[in-house]
Amino acid sequence: MTTSLPPGIQLEKTDDRIMTLNVGPQHPGSGHMRLIIKVDGDYIISCDPDPGYVHRGEEKMAEYRNYIQNIPHLERPVIHDSCNILYPYCLAVEDLLGIEVPERAKYIRVIASELNRCVYTLYWLAIYGIFLGHSTMFMWPAGDREFCIDLLEAMSGARVTHAYFVPGGVRNDVPANFEERCLRQIDYFEKRLKQYENIFYQNPVLKQRTEGTGVLSKMDAIRLGTTGSVLRSAGVDFDIRKKEPYDVYDNLDFQTQVLKEGDSYARSRVPYLDMLESCRIIKDALKKMPKSGSVRTKLKPNPKGGNEEAYRRVESGRGSLGMYVVSDGKPEPYRVKISVGSFRNLICMPYLLKGEKLGNMPAVYWSLNYWPVEADR
Amino acid sequence: MSTIAPEFRLSRFVASLTDLIFWIIVIFTLIGLPIVLIVLFYAELPVIDDKLLTPYLALTWLADPSRTLPIIKSLMHTDFFRITAFPGFGFAALLAAATIYIERKFLAKMQLRVGPLYCGKIEGILQLMGDGLKLISKEIIIPAKADKPIFWIAPLLFVGTAAAFISLIPVAPGWVVADLDVGLLAVFAVIGFFPIITILSSWSANSKFPFIGGIRALHQMVSFEIPLILSLLGIVILTGTLNLTEIVESQQHYWWIIFMPIGAIVFFTTILAELERIPFDLPEAESEIVAGWLTEFSGMMYGLVQLGSYLKLYAFAALFTILFLGGWNGPMVWPPFPQEIITEGIKMGPITMHVPGLPLLDQEMLNGTLWFTIKTIGVILVILLPRGVFPRIRIDLLLHTGWYKLIGLAFVNIFIALALVYAGVLGPGGLIQ
Amino acid sequence: MSSAGGIIRALNSGVKHLAVKRFTLRYPEEKLKFVGDGFQFDPQTGVGIAGIKGRHILFHDKCTGCQLCSIACEGIAEAIAMVKVNETWKHNKKAIMPQIDYGKCVFCGLCVDACPFYALYMTNDYELSSFSKEALIYTPSQLAVNPKVDQDVEIKIDKRGATHG
Repeated sequence: MTTSLPPGIQLEKTDDRIMTLNVGPQHPGSGHMRLIIKVDGDYIISCDPDPGYVHRGEEKMAEYRNYIQNIPHLERPVIHDSCNILYPYCLAVEDLLGIEVPERAKYIRVIASELNRCVYTLYWLAIYGIFLGHSTMFMWPAGDREFCIDLLEAMSGARVTHAYFVPGGVRNDVPANFEERCLRQIDYFEKRLKQYENIFYQNPVLKQRTEGTGVLSKMDAIRLGTTGSVLRSAGVDFDIRKKEPYDVYDNLDFQTQVLKEGDSYARSRVPYLDMLESCRIIKDALKKMPKSGSVRTKLKPNPKGGNEEAYRRVESGRGSLGMYVVSDGKPEPYRVKISVGSFRNLICMPYLLKGEKLGNMPAVYWSLNYWPVEADR
Repeated sequence: MSTIAPEFRLSRFVASLTDLIFWIIVIFTLIGLPIVLIVLFYAELPVIDDKLLTPYLALTWLADPSRTLPIIKSLMHTDFFRITAFPGFGFAALLAAATIYIERKFLAKMQLRVGPLYCGKIEGILQLMGDGLKLISKEIIIPAKADKPIFWIAPLLFVGTAAAFISLIPVAPGWVVADLDVGLLAVFAVIGFFPIITILSSWSANSKFPFIGGIRALHQMVSFEIPLILSLLGIVILTGTLNLTEIVESQQHYWWIIFMPIGAIVFFTTILAELERIPFDLPEAESEIVAGWLTEFSGMMYGLVQLGSYLKLYAFAALFTILFLGGWNGPMVWPPFPQEIITEGIKMGPITMHVPGLPLLDQEMLNGTLWFTIKTIGVILVILLPRGVFPRIRIDLLLHTGWYKLIGLAFVNIFIALALVYAGVLGPGGLIQ
Repeated sequence: MSSAGGIIRALNSGVKHLAVKRFTLRYPEEKLKFVGDGFQFDPQTGVGIAGIKGRHILFHDKCTGCQLCSIACEGIAEAIAMVKVNETWKHNKKAIMPQIDYGKCVFCGLCVDACPFYALYMTNDYELSSFSKEALIYTPSQLAVNPKVDQDVEIKIDKRGATHG
């Protein structure tokens, strides 16, 4: 070969046994990410994830908008879990500007955050079902999301991208008959969730497919820096709502769900158990919420912070979501850095997929609770 | 929308109509008439009342009400009618089309949603026609380095083999396209063709994903053919014949599923694998290998493959009914033809009309067809059910099931059959006849 | 044999769901009912009133042309531009009012939060599609119209399942 290739382009060596598969961005099995998989027969030799197809430069764009204008902007990485991604931003800005949040607002925030967690987890579960070929497991969670989305719409006015949290509380109070409607729908929602046991989680075909694949040991999970449900399914008892409680989580009683096996089956079960816990948290919060009170502290127009920085983190549907906000006296933040759970969990993928069969690739890949848009920001 | 369609002008419309009429006349005279005459030259015409029934004679006679029905009855007993309409392709295609629609509505109800709704006035009943028209109007794209002759022929071969399978199935006593003495063995031979066609179509597409899909399909179909054949050996031992009509006739008092439940379960599982239905739809696994061996098919080629697939579904369900559920046997529920119409004619007010040649189809045949259809539809519904309940199985578990568990169960079934025959319970000279 | 039990239980669960009612909302024939009249904001208390964030409504007898809604939107979507209207109001000397481009609006409602004169609210109307991009720009007089909506369907839960009815 006398011609030299431009830099960055590799020529695929034709080997007898090894085939390179491009599970690319335009594929029913990959989301918005590319996986370059080298396959020998049916066994995966190496897997090279290639994220970055949805990168927009959110963090840079946040430097040109002031603290309130950042609210619709920063909720875009995960549109249906938008309250959870605004939560650490609001907490950090409240630290920077020294704002105190009223009690009723804290309870409303907790309820909205848990509803968002259910909405996101059901969407993730639906796609997990369709990756494994189970079309009913795609339709049932997609339909059951309606109960939570309906409540979020009554609260905030929009089904996705709620733009509901602001530094200082929430933008509006819940409507009049919200509590009774919420209890009714969450009760039915819990009943629907329990139906998933027989058809999905105890289904022998599913168990054979996911048990024992992609095993992540406890030491590896801690060493690789995983977070969220991936960490809790490997046997590590770490939930930010319990370890570093924010808002009123230290007042509510709930358990952290931990499973020990660390395989794909455990990783697919922990978010489901988390959802059942979320229903309990919502019912508890509704009982303990103060019946009246303001839900927002009034801010001065164009709030400015001093020369400070703040870092807060929150347990979102995918793991710990942290925001690091630096201000230098202007109405716009100097730097906003978002640390997302999806991107941190992506590091496991080359390790877990090496030596696996090709048929296990969707089961392991999506069980890492990876949301491509958020990972690329 | 109105910016896309051109404006209506009457002159252009009339011009297009005359163009259409012109081309219809040209094609009819230059191609249609010669084909009809050539076919009539070689086709076998029936003989009625010692006269050879040419089309001209038939048209003359059809005008006479006393001869209409005998002509139609004699046409119904020709081979051509059997192949294309009643137990053959027409009946099967109708049931296959109904199956596709029922599958979509059935799965939708299980998944708490609606399914096809807007196409057609009642609950989307014309959805299939819409899908068929859409597939016909799409462009057929062939990959550049594909093996073109084989790639073009593969869907046609698929439909042809499925049609060959259908021709062996008896629907009512005496109504079968090909009445072979070794019918069951011919079924096994035809089933053996399907993996070949799958591997041909996936290899000729010259692309990675069809390649993986084709290899998986080959593994799956070959490894499940052996339990399929073994599970039916029990029936052959008990009845002593391979002829499908005789197997149905031997089930007049009891169905074979009562004595061979394990064989029925094994056969049912292998049906799901041969049809590539969930949980065994690895060759078409959508989330891993786009669409498996169907990836490169587009337009009507895809439509033909789907048609062949659903014809195969009907044929396997019919086979299950014939072998295990008693075929067309069932209590007589069809009302008998009223005798007064034959002897005295139909009374319409002051006029009495005599229509010789009635009844068109006899009561036994209609009753048999009714029971056969009911049982086949029941089996089809049970085949459709796992699609909504199970995820897709993985290849090594599939091979483990096919080669270890199912063959073991099939052998257990054969031993049960042998025990029943040698204990004198069943078979010739047994306690239960 | 536990796998056989699991298979039978899964099939049983599938068959039982054939008796549950369908959950689909038949959209053009049935439309969801919303609580309240649309998102509103009370500048005195600084808290909004819950409602759906649909199309905006502009009260001409309250808008003073202060441009605060347009400034709020500049960092978000730049969907509000101030245009001259030929109406004479005592409180609107410059005679300018907002014009909203729904091709760019993200329906976040921060313009409603910014208005201090109770002039800009949001309504229940969300069916805003049109055949051309120019028709999506709503002038102030178009924004003054109160939309007519007939939405009457909500989620009902009963023994045989939940439906939209």
